[in-house]
Amino acid sequence: MTALLHWLTFLLSIILLPVLTLGTIRKTKARLQNRIGPPICQPIYDLVKLSRKGETISSTMCGVFRLSSLLAFADILVLAWLTPWLCFKPWAPHSNIFMVVYLFAFARMFTLLGSLDSGSAFGAFSASREATLSLLVEPAVLLALVSLGIFFGSSDLRVIFSHQTNQTFTDSAIWIAAGLAIFFSSLVELSRMPVDDPTTHLELTMIHEAMILEASGRNLALIEFAHALKMSIFFGLASQCFLRAFPQFNTFNVYSQGGLNIVGILGLALFVGLLESLIVKLQWRKVPEFIAYILSLSLIASLAAIGAGVIK
Amino acid sequence: MTVTATEICVLTAALLACLIVGSLHLKVNLWLYAMSTLFIALATAAAALEHSETGLFVIAILIALLKSIAIPKFFSWAIDKLHVYRDLGAIIAPPLAMHAAILLFSLSFILTKEIPSPAGPGNGWFGAAGGISLVFTGLLLMLTRRLAISQIFGFLVIENGIYVFALTQTKGMPLMVEMGILLDVLVGVMVSGLLLFKIQKSFEHIDVGQLTQLKEP
Repeated sequence: MTALLHWLTFLLSIILLPVLTLGTIRKTKARLQNRIGPPICQPIYDLVKLSRKGETISSTMCGVFRLSSLLAFADILVLAWLTPWLCFKPWAPHSNIFMVVYLFAFARMFTLLGSLDSGSAFGAFSASREATLSLLVEPAVLLALVSLGIFFGSSDLRVIFSHQTNQTFTDSAIWIAAGLAIFFSSLVELSRMPVDDPTTHLELTMIHEAMILEASGRNLALIEFAHALKMSIFFGLASQCFLRAFPQFNTFNVYSQGGLNIVGILGLALFVGLLESLIVKLQWRKVPEFIAYILSLSLIASLAAIGAGVIK
Repeated sequence: MTVTATEICVLTAALLACLIVGSLHLKVNLWLYAMSTLFIALATAAAALEHSETGLFVIAILIALLKSIAIPKFFSWAIDKLHVYRDLGAIIAPPLAMHAAILLFSLSFILTKEIPSPAGPGNGWFGAAGGISLVFTGLLLMLTRRLAISQIFGFLVIENGIYVFALTQTKGMPLMVEMGILLDVLVGVMVSGLLLFKIQKSFEHIDVGQLTQLKEP
């Protein structure tokens, strides 16, 4: 019975959490701009509406375009299954750090292929920008996860995120530095505010939006949902890092841990909404500088992990 | 291994100082310097609690007022007067310099392990490492910048480092010595500020890389 309950909650959170995360960000931004804004569940209605609509496909496209969004969605679903972004998963599979990072890259590759296949000028340049960004941010994500791996002596994310440690100062410092690095690199990976404005209407400044410009109907619904799910996976990992920095977290039972986890994801979404209302989009040439700051956070985490290993 | 509140504050200050190297905006640099110095003031206050010395409290308040409020305010005013808002950078790109500063931060841990600590082995290790790291960061800042005003920032960071080293290794200097040093720093900053205006007036820029070139009268 409890197993069934676990499965149900897991499936529900895979379906609902991405939507709620997106809805929270939009609601926060709307409230800060003195608008009432759409209800938090609005992304669900949007997805339902999109899946009912018909789609228009350019005559230059081959099958890659249709297939790519489907494959990217499947890839992200596998990742939702593999990564320990929620701490109440019914069955925890092995998930190697490198496999997870490159499965994310794999999903992005499909999106890039789809945007190139559409044959529009915007698709090509946004694909090139997205590829550049992923190239720049990859070492930051990898170093942050690897620093946790070094510290806990395993390259398996499941082992890292279920570790019962005697919490010391270095433990918390590494968790917080790695969590910050994962969170900020997720802003780049998901092309959110300091790097790309998700609500922009000018195609020349878009990154992610220009890639999915040609998608419509069910295709667009799939892409949007995969993107939101990717966002909640990243926020889930980051929020767990922050929560595990507190020694008390390990003493809670699994329900309150799960509840705190979900609150953490939504809290990060709230923070992103706040961030997006307060700061402006960076110039494209300034983005590497921003990513350098993220990389230095991961560097701090990995050096601290190595140092802790040396002291032991 | 236990880490005291002083050491946490010192390490945070050292990391904030590392971030100074990563930005060329003078106002951002000043803001980060002020935050770093505020953490040093907090470290002093924590040390005062640990050793229960009231003199250190006075010094903590003086540092917070003078070094993290008055000096940044003065330089902010000077930047507005000089109309110079960005450094040009020299030798290596600022993001790379920041990564180098973080590597030096970890190097300083290895270095301080070799220093025999007066308070016994294993004591004040993190604090001393933070101090040495601040000195390294200041040197790196002076090396990778071109403007005279950035050189002063580098000097101020080095001064912070020396103060932190003294604080964590000797349980605080006498009040009179610290007050004298603070006065010296204040006077030094004022004099260097005056020099900045003088350089700007006679050379029409404050780029120290070009100061070797002779100017037609």
